[in-house]
Amino acid sequence: MDETVAEFIKRTILKIPMTEMMTILKAWDFLPENQLQTVNFRQRKESLVQDLVLLCESKRASLRDAALLDIIYTQFHRHQKVWDVFQMSKEPGEDVDLFDMERFKSSFEKILRRALKNVTVSFRDAEENAVWIRIAWGTQYRKPNQYKPVYVVYYSQTPYAFTSFCHLKSNAPLLSQALTVASNHHKIVKMDLRSRYLDSLKAIVFKQYNQKFETHNSTMPLQETLELDMHMDSRIIHENRIEKERVQRVTQETFGDYPQPRLEFAQYKLETKFKSDFHGGILAERKEPLRCLIKFSSPHLLEALKSLAPAGIADAPLSPLLTCIPNKGMNYFKIRDK
Amino acid sequence: MDPYDTPESTPRHGASSRLKDYFIGATPLRKRLESVRKQASFVPTPPRRKIPQCSQLQEDNDPQKFAFLLHKQWTLYSLTPLYKFSYTNLKEYSRLLSAFIAAEKQKGLAVEVGEDFNIKVTFSTLLGMKGTQRDPEAFLVQILSKSQLPSENRGQKVLWTGWFCCVFGDSLLETVPEDFTCVPLFLANGAETNTAIVGTWFQETFDCHFSSLAINAFNLSWMAAMWTACKMDQYMATTEFLWSVPCSPQSLDISYAIHPEDAKALWDSVHKTPGEVTQEEVDLFMDCLYSHFHRHFKIHLSATRLVRVSTSVASAHTDGKIKILCHKYLIGILAYLTELAIFQID
Repeated sequence: MDETVAEFIKRTILKIPMTEMMTILKAWDFLPENQLQTVNFRQRKESLVQDLVLLCESKRASLRDAALLDIIYTQFHRHQKVWDVFQMSKEPGEDVDLFDMERFKSSFEKILRRALKNVTVSFRDAEENAVWIRIAWGTQYRKPNQYKPVYVVYYSQTPYAFTSFCHLKSNAPLLSQALTVASNHHKIVKMDLRSRYLDSLKAIVFKQYNQKFETHNSTMPLQETLELDMHMDSRIIHENRIEKERVQRVTQETFGDYPQPRLEFAQYKLETKFKSDFHGGILAERKEPLRCLIKFSSPHLLEALKSLAPAGIADAPLSPLLTCIPNKGMNYFKIRDK
Repeated sequence: MDPYDTPESTPRHGASSRLKDYFIGATPLRKRLESVRKQASFVPTPPRRKIPQCSQLQEDNDPQKFAFLLHKQWTLYSLTPLYKFSYTNLKEYSRLLSAFIAAEKQKGLAVEVGEDFNIKVTFSTLLGMKGTQRDPEAFLVQILSKSQLPSENRGQKVLWTGWFCCVFGDSLLETVPEDFTCVPLFLANGAETNTAIVGTWFQETFDCHFSSLAINAFNLSWMAAMWTACKMDQYMATTEFLWSVPCSPQSLDISYAIHPEDAKALWDSVHKTPGEVTQEEVDLFMDCLYSHFHRHFKIHLSATRLVRVSTSVASAHTDGKIKILCHKYLIGILAYLTELAIFQID
């Protein structure tokens, strides 16, 4: 086994938390069950890794096997990457031919190899007709860097692909081209949507985020929460209660009953004039807009935004600039005066 | 007169404790100082302040002189007056503090990065870093590591820097008896363990007391307005605010960056009194920013917590951290911070 491959396997296994070790090795399916049972999983991690690497050596693990392990690790730790979303389109009127996964894979790899002599491409099929692609980039003269790969998750029955952040921006056009051509599309566009939470991006883009709950009488939960509120604070007078009810209702209509897809930020580039009813005269003569960049960050942005109006920090309804995020599938915006 | 508490009997915490946990049992001298302070009138926050200008005392506009203080993050503390501190004894203090640090490190109370450094401590005055002639001289303390190599100055790395100053500190200077030196503002950069050790030594040697200097939203707004008001030839950085929203269960941070020219235009439109910044102007400035934001997002920023402001002049964080980016307004910035420090001491 090549030294670099051995080192690569060692470093990949070292990344795996002990609690996941067995699961990931089984998913990899390279070391058979009976061999795994001969290994002492209770020893110190470094020793365990050494034993496992020796086993891999005896089975003559190749770069291909190592890359597959890397894909599986990343699938288990997809939140460690930041994912961009690409949308492809066909020419209007183009024939919708049957998608052939094997043809896609070989075409994709061929395109990359033709452009770059040194590149490692690996595939792993996933559910929902998706494929995980791992690409390690090299150059004309240097072997691929296995430690900075790019991942592409392509859902073949859709025009969408998700790619992990690529340090080498120069390879981005090549990647886009390979994806487009191999999947028989005509155009590819990067969406203004980015997050660590791949599953949330999927939910947004495939419009699956509002289907989590079974259908039910939508007024029921609202009633329950209201009753709880009323019991908790009898000092809320009638007028305030009407307003609180209104806020709850509007918030629910905007955000729905279901758990929100998970995003960590939304960014707005504003170029709008200053206008205010209460501050007449301020910047009145200025023709130029105010150039602002506003960024909302949160471990769970949409849930945080949802809680603002009920907490009295925001008006209800919240601005459509914020509530449109899942609908439009965007979390990067450029806003200008009309 | 009771003698000072000996070092052994001073409460000893882990070196990693925050400085604000330290205190020394009140000696009669300290009690005398406190009673004098209580008689002094309470100084409320003024409704107006002068826009920072280049200090009249800075005869040489040498940008290099204090360049090493710029672009570094400083943690702020307020410091009560030092008893029997003398500017002629700086060499002696260097020696004593060096020995103290070495002793502390040998005791294993301070955890350094494995290696056994040779430590050198320097005390030096920072001439010109003051507001009026009455202000005491600012001074600088640095902990340097000496390399084992014989070659001159090789491997002399600055491990920790702390400086003490008083800029326009009249309100404090007036109330303090003769034996005391007032340098109410202390700024530190470097490992907190070192800050704690230096702080302990000062507290034991000069019977003083350090407190972390937090900056509340009110003062952050003032700083943002004043620094936006400063005349700049060139804008090096965008003007940025950071708010923390108290929503649960998820936290939310809102960062609002505005092009510095636009921030200045907004300020100029708000500003009425030449040479001064008033409370009304600060409120109006912030209100306009809130209003612009609300128009787009329907969120009331005024209901959230302002945590950080950043301009081309300087940036400040509510935890009491500051970064000075422009040497021209250094004195003005220090004047404001001195005021906050004095307010905290009182």
